[in-house]
Amino acid sequence: MHGFPGSPKKPETKMPASFHDHENATHAATKQIGRVRRGVSSRWPLAVILFVALTSSMWAAPKLKLASSGTGFTVAGVAPAYTASFGTMNALAFGTPATNVSATALSNGALYYTTLTINIQAIGSNTGVVTAYVSTNFIGNAASAMIVYGCAAPSACTSSGQFSALGTSQAGATTLASGLASGSPSADVGFAIFLPDNDGATAFTGLSALGCTVSFDLYLNGSNTVSDTVTLALSNETVQSAVQLTVGSAGGGLTIGNAGGPLLDPFSMNFGNVNALGIGPSAGLTTVAQAGGIIYSTPYNVLPVFTDINQTSATVKACVSTTFTHSVVLILKDSATGSAGSFSDISTNCGAATSLTGSAGDRSSVARYLGLFVSNVNGVTAFTGLDNATLTYTLTVP
Amino acid sequence: MKRMTLAVFAALLMMASTSFAATQAANNNTVAPTLNVSATIQKAVSLTLATGTTGAISHCAVVASGGASDYTMNFGTVDALGVNPGNCNKFNPATPGTTDAIYWTDYQMLPVYTSFTTTITGTTVTAQVTTDFAAPHNIYIVRDTANSSTVPAGVGSFSAMGTGSADTVGVAGVVSGTALTRFIGVGVKPTNGATVLNGAQTATVTFTLTVQ
Repeated sequence: MHGFPGSPKKPETKMPASFHDHENATHAATKQIGRVRRGVSSRWPLAVILFVALTSSMWAAPKLKLASSGTGFTVAGVAPAYTASFGTMNALAFGTPATNVSATALSNGALYYTTLTINIQAIGSNTGVVTAYVSTNFIGNAASAMIVYGCAAPSACTSSGQFSALGTSQAGATTLASGLASGSPSADVGFAIFLPDNDGATAFTGLSALGCTVSFDLYLNGSNTVSDTVTLALSNETVQSAVQLTVGSAGGGLTIGNAGGPLLDPFSMNFGNVNALGIGPSAGLTTVAQAGGIIYSTPYNVLPVFTDINQTSATVKACVSTTFTHSVVLILKDSATGSAGSFSDISTNCGAATSLTGSAGDRSSVARYLGLFVSNVNGVTAFTGLDNATLTYTLTVP
Repeated sequence: MKRMTLAVFAALLMMASTSFAATQAANNNTVAPTLNVSATIQKAVSLTLATGTTGAISHCAVVASGGASDYTMNFGTVDALGVNPGNCNKFNPATPGTTDAIYWTDYQMLPVYTSFTTTITGTTVTAQVTTDFAAPHNIYIVRDTANSSTVPAGVGSFSAMGTGSADTVGVAGVVSGTALTRFIGVGVKPTNGATVLNGAQTATVTFTLTVQ
């Protein structure tokens, strides 16, 4: 396939010379054959030229190819130039990734990963090793937003820990496949893009029009000389900004549940049995004196995450979007310290929500105290039994 | 028609590029998850005792003990003739050797009750000697007969606190959060004999708040 008419011309500056370089491959040799047939009658020169031509043709055959693994993303093109795409991504791994691309959220970003097949051929009895490196990186902030990772065969390449960043120079290339031979000519390797949170000045969103190019080099028998090279261009990668806000338990506080899963709301918090005298608070609760009743208090955390946004701080607000049915008897309050006198009512107007912080950092927990005021009222306005309310927390990255 | 088709297509594009979940959002700068908070309110009652604050008299301290009893009070050294001053106040016997001496103090009761939806105008506080001094009971618990905050005038202002049944010390209408001042003491009889009590003696009074 290497050297077919119409194939993209290999950039001289990007690919090391190889045995089947376009300029001295099949076509040139074939032309020479024609000239010989027309102008020379001696058989010896003809034999020599035929030998040279055949040998040259053998050298010109591509030894290294890339292909879709079947379970991996689509690899298009022919040797020596292939293309593929991870599609639209975000550093939270939120949403559905491209076909045959998996995404996993990490503590500092997300990894979009897949597999592709490396094939070698025409290497005789030699043994091959294939390395890869980013020969042309993403441009500008896109280089901060997307980092190409690889995973060597025979690893399953199904978890982030199996991947590592590819080097950005041939000298720092990463070995993806080894022990390739005529009897075992292919290997499925992992290929990925890691998206760090990348907020602030280096934030990037949108399509990286020029993409990046990864070069795969084939080495034979431990040689330091590249035997063949193919490239894989990632030229259609799109990065989206993303935001995430979760509510979680704090040490010594009430357990916050979310039956649907760690990233599915509604979260839930049950104060259990309460009374206006603060008798027998449940585990995780403390009582705080308050005129007219008592406050049951629990520490908890709000965790904002935001990615690829050109800001490094955000606001977190809370409002009581659904008040208790008995909203005079039960009132939700917020405090930064949990101490007596520090609690204030959480707004019941979500248009004017209560600010929990105006300087929330990415992946930096906001520690707060949620207070439940229980009125000591008796008589017709008093209430006993179960009641529920809903708090809505809003993360906004300006 | 073409304009409508384009509009629909644009809307679909927008929906496709802007995905929402309650805790996460892409291509957006805000997200708003929810937290459901639940609680079960129970009614509650509380009755606490405290040292009295009535003016012009002495006060025996009410001490929260946290032990077998909730509070303790000590009248000090007492006798049937009113010779010892005791720890707070005393009325000497009208007829020494015949009638009893009373050592007494004021104290406060604080009834609190919450989340009662029913009628509560009949709320009372009672007191009963649940562990009496030992026989021959030459020392016994007394209370102000009037069940009021008026300072007792003399021995006659007191009566023995019930040991077999409770005495009402806060009549119907006790208000939550309003402290009641009352008077309690020990009467000392001028009894003689082999079995009379001497030395430190202890009795227990149980106060009961009933919200009704």
